[in-house]
Amino acid sequence: MVSRFDQKKTKHQLFHVSISLATILICMTYMQYRRNWSHLGSFWDSLIVPIVFTGELLKVILARFFGRIEDGVLTAKQRQKKAAYFTPRELLGGLTLQFLCTLLYGFICIILGAPVLANYEQTFVLSLLMTLLTVSPTVFLLGGGGALQVCFCENPDFVTKCEDTALHLFKYNALGGILGAWAGSVVAPLDWGRDWQVYPIPNVIGALLGSALGNIYACTHVLYTCGRVYMSKKRT
Amino acid sequence: MADCNPAEPKNTICLRLTVAVGSCDVEEDVSEMEEHKSRLAYTFYMLTLFLFGCVLFIVGFFPASYTTTDAERESTIPNGWPIKMYGKKITPPPASYDAFVLFLIDALRDDFPTETNMPVSYEKACIKLNLHVDIPTVTMPRLKSMTTGTLSNFIDIALNVGSIEQLEDSLLHRLRDRDAVVSFAGDHTWLKLFPSEFTRAAANNDSFYVNDFYNGDKLVTSALEEELEKADWKLLILHYLGLDHIGHVEGNESPKIPHKLREMDQAVQKIIEHKNMQNYLMLLTGDHGMADGGGHGGNTPAETSVPLYLFSKNCSKPTTVTKRYNQIDLAPTLAVLLSVEIPTMSIGCLIPEMLQSLTLEQQLYAYFYNAHHLLNRARVKFGHEVVHRSDYYHWYQNATLLHKDLLDPLREGDGSSASQVHYQNAKLNYMRVAREISGLLSESLVKFDYGFIAMGLVLTTAAALHLALSVLFTDVANEQLQLQSLKKAQLLLSLVIGATLNIFAHALDVIMTSTLLLKLILMLLLVAAIYLSFDVVLTFIKIALPPIYTRRLKISIPLPVPLLVCFAIRVLTLGSSSFIEFEYLTWYYLGNTLLLLTTFRTLRRRITKANEELDGRHLYKIASVCLWQQRKIFVVLLLLILMRHTYGLQAIKSTLMVFALMLFWARLRKFHTNLQAIFCGIAFLLVYTFRGLNQQVQFFTLSEQLAARLVLPVLVLFWCCFALVLVLGYRAALPQQQSSTDLLNLEARPTSALLRLLQTNLSCSLILTALMFKVQNIVLLPTLLITLDETYKLCEAYGTSARKFSVRLVHVYKIIMTIFVGRMFFFYQGNSNSLSTIDLTPGYIGQTSYDPNVVSIFVSLNTFSADIHSFLYLIVHTLRANLKSVGIMQLQPPYAKAADTLVAPLYAALLLLPVAFYLCLMLGFRYHLFIYSVFSPKVVYDCYTVFVFFFVFLITSLYFKLFKNDA
Repeated sequence: MVSRFDQKKTKHQLFHVSISLATILICMTYMQYRRNWSHLGSFWDSLIVPIVFTGELLKVILARFFGRIEDGVLTAKQRQKKAAYFTPRELLGGLTLQFLCTLLYGFICIILGAPVLANYEQTFVLSLLMTLLTVSPTVFLLGGGGALQVCFCENPDFVTKCEDTALHLFKYNALGGILGAWAGSVVAPLDWGRDWQVYPIPNVIGALLGSALGNIYACTHVLYTCGRVYMSKKRT
Repeated sequence: MADCNPAEPKNTICLRLTVAVGSCDVEEDVSEMEEHKSRLAYTFYMLTLFLFGCVLFIVGFFPASYTTTDAERESTIPNGWPIKMYGKKITPPPASYDAFVLFLIDALRDDFPTETNMPVSYEKACIKLNLHVDIPTVTMPRLKSMTTGTLSNFIDIALNVGSIEQLEDSLLHRLRDRDAVVSFAGDHTWLKLFPSEFTRAAANNDSFYVNDFYNGDKLVTSALEEELEKADWKLLILHYLGLDHIGHVEGNESPKIPHKLREMDQAVQKIIEHKNMQNYLMLLTGDHGMADGGGHGGNTPAETSVPLYLFSKNCSKPTTVTKRYNQIDLAPTLAVLLSVEIPTMSIGCLIPEMLQSLTLEQQLYAYFYNAHHLLNRARVKFGHEVVHRSDYYHWYQNATLLHKDLLDPLREGDGSSASQVHYQNAKLNYMRVAREISGLLSESLVKFDYGFIAMGLVLTTAAALHLALSVLFTDVANEQLQLQSLKKAQLLLSLVIGATLNIFAHALDVIMTSTLLLKLILMLLLVAAIYLSFDVVLTFIKIALPPIYTRRLKISIPLPVPLLVCFAIRVLTLGSSSFIEFEYLTWYYLGNTLLLLTTFRTLRRRITKANEELDGRHLYKIASVCLWQQRKIFVVLLLLILMRHTYGLQAIKSTLMVFALMLFWARLRKFHTNLQAIFCGIAFLLVYTFRGLNQQVQFFTLSEQLAARLVLPVLVLFWCCFALVLVLGYRAALPQQQSSTDLLNLEARPTSALLRLLQTNLSCSLILTALMFKVQNIVLLPTLLITLDETYKLCEAYGTSARKFSVRLVHVYKIIMTIFVGRMFFFYQGNSNSLSTIDLTPGYIGQTSYDPNVVSIFVSLNTFSADIHSFLYLIVHTLRANLKSVGIMQLQPPYAKAADTLVAPLYAALLLLPVAFYLCLMLGFRYHLFIYSVFSPKVVYDCYTVFVFFFVFLITSLYFKLFKNDA
């Protein structure tokens, strides 16, 4: 049983999830507004990447905002980490990490069947979107080194409680995005002859929908925990 | 595993990594150590039963023939010319031309006769039509359609090469009855269909020998010249095969094709300009088209659309008609023009453009006659009642009434506008009747034999499930589930049930067999099906309701979620026609996903492990070291991307082939002794020489005669080298007199005889495949070996990086990966689920005539090489693998032993389950629009894959039986 109901954490979680869902909704509205989806794969013409980028930034700012309150109770390691956040080394590391991840996603796209000698822009946009959905939030929150440590460590000790909450939610977002983009390819062989069956449109939409589903799952999880606490409180 | 170079500065990390990897817990269930009974015999029985089930299903799903049943033959409906209409006498039209020529060019697709390719035909043709060809687009069923006017059965495609039933009624039979002279030259399939109908026949000896581009056609043309001089025939049929052969061997882009078409054009010119040809009609058409790769048999527009050009002396003006007619329409139209009765089974309509030489009265008679004929067919098929209540019957009656009134005005030559309108009205009504009934009849031709289908389905499903259950519950299969032992009481019970069912089914005519032997075989299969179903049901009950709830039966094989998901997706996509057409996309996607996923999970686990041990310092270094260790798998992934584009590498194919053969030789080196390696190298040189002599790769420029003369010695030498590699391999493996050198050898290489024999088999079959493969495909062979090797290493690494090591997990990963990789390479090779992509050329390497056995073996080996070799490689790998490399020494014996206890049965089960599922799906889809064009070829492919696997499995298990104890 949940011993103590963490009101602040739940608030953070709910705000976080609302930002994610709002981002996806804005994306959907934007796509509805543009009608023709063929531009989704182009870098300069599509607003999906900037929208998602803003959404992820907002989430990080949210985490920072909630994290400000617990500044007083940090361990030495956490403090050290925090102090190093804006050093050029960390910034550069973070950028490099994201760049490498974009390359890696591009490589994966090509392995999974994207055209090798064509559609570079589309592949780039897709991998950029995937990076934004998966790696970028963590990097923005913790810096390059921190993100790597989080990825390859069972229980990192430099992560504050608030950051941990955000990371937990980022995980759903990322997993949903990856699975969605992966599953989006399912429409490629179908003979419906629709113009939105062209690479990368199903994958981009799949990534957005997947992350939305991931967030909805996270949201239900949070609400369920809330509800259980509420019920037990009522009983006692 | 860990690439430790002492000179490197990362030395310490490297060492620690090795320690980290090597120190994983080795926890083994005791039960895994027991249970090493070989399951090969059991798997063999299940495979056999499954194959019998497939045969039953196919027999039921594609009934062997559509000939008239007894009931139809005995019907009282008159057949022949109608001579009276409402009391008025009507007469059939006389033959409108003195001579008819059917000029058939095999695989003449719609865009071949152009102004540049066939100038004379293009200029001189009176009418240019377009015919739609039904599937299967292979020669024999097409000839049947053209002469009888019926659709043919899908399974005729198999009979295309094999035996052929003779037709009972056709245009040619009718012509013979009238003692008309019919002459023929060309493809000898015609003679198989019509052994005694031709007055004169000059057939090719060997229609299936595809390397013959010109000789056969020359003979046809010389026969044509003789016939033109004689000019006593009513119908002359010419069937040229050269174009089809060029397509099979060199593809539809071959430069020889325009050349060939010009040769055909000259033959056409000979006919139309000959002095004996005065009042004639010539039809130039193809029996089927040619797919974009050069083959045929599928359902693409290029294959199902053929041109029909009509030539005659007195044609008014050349016309091109855009409307498409069916190939079956040729039979009734020709019958009317030849003035013979329409063949009994014909369900075609008339082609109005071809009847323009007749008078209006004769035309109307023709339309009436065909409508009348079709109405009779409908009566036989659907019964009088149904026909009388139908729309088309009323149309028919309207038309005949108008027709009757028109008879007098037409005879008197009355051209008044009223009679014109009536005439058009009657004609349109007749045509509408014909089209309607023709459509209805072609739909109703499909007849399923549900008795056989049900038996086949039960047998296949039960066998597949039985095998799968027995593998999944390996540890408890014998004691608690009793799956593998024969239970006498149950057998007796199923025997009784089977016999009763069999008798009842025969009595109720659900199942019809002709001989007693067939009945007995059927009963045995029925008994087996019932026995297996009992077992499966009982097992399911036992699993669902364990006798004591605490002792719930546990699955003894770990089933990792990603593998299961990929496998499930692959099975579920079988339900969609698009996914079957583009099945290669599924395999590439899922196969690569699995490889990537496993790679990343392994990487992450290893980095995490090292990172934890080093307490978060040096993370960059650890990551780069781990990435570097896994570099090979990334190379493999790049190679796999490249393999998707082997067809784009035509320009550098000589270089590619040399490179591929060298790589291949190096890969096979580890299976070979020095002497074997030398001969293998020579064999590869000869393969290159062979391709060079055929001008497929860069080679010394030799005169064509010399090259042709050199081909045979080169091939003989190749076979000698091949035999030497084989013999040397066997000699090294089999026990001989103990001499001192042998003893030394044995000490040097303590591998078992079984392993060496299997290795020899594998490498020999690979060398043979190198000869068969297309030039740009040879690179697939070494890549397959590299990919499998690296995948296995990856699986081992993955298994050891897990918290709890389990040998079986590694096995399961390896087996599923093998299946996926094998299938990926099957499609890389250019195969698909359409019958038109089967490459027939390898069957004729070194052959001078058509030998069905050799051709089928070679073609199967070529087509299914990826599946065959990946299975063989898996077995060899399992036998020779030691987990020393991953730091687990003590597990070596059980690991190798799993080859026949776990690997082969699980592989078989994973192969059978989707096929059984697909057969069940087929039953549901039996009225689907694409059933014959998309789903049925896939059934043929699937069943044949199982058959090939069965064969490979049989040979492998024989080796296991004979040599296992020699180790």
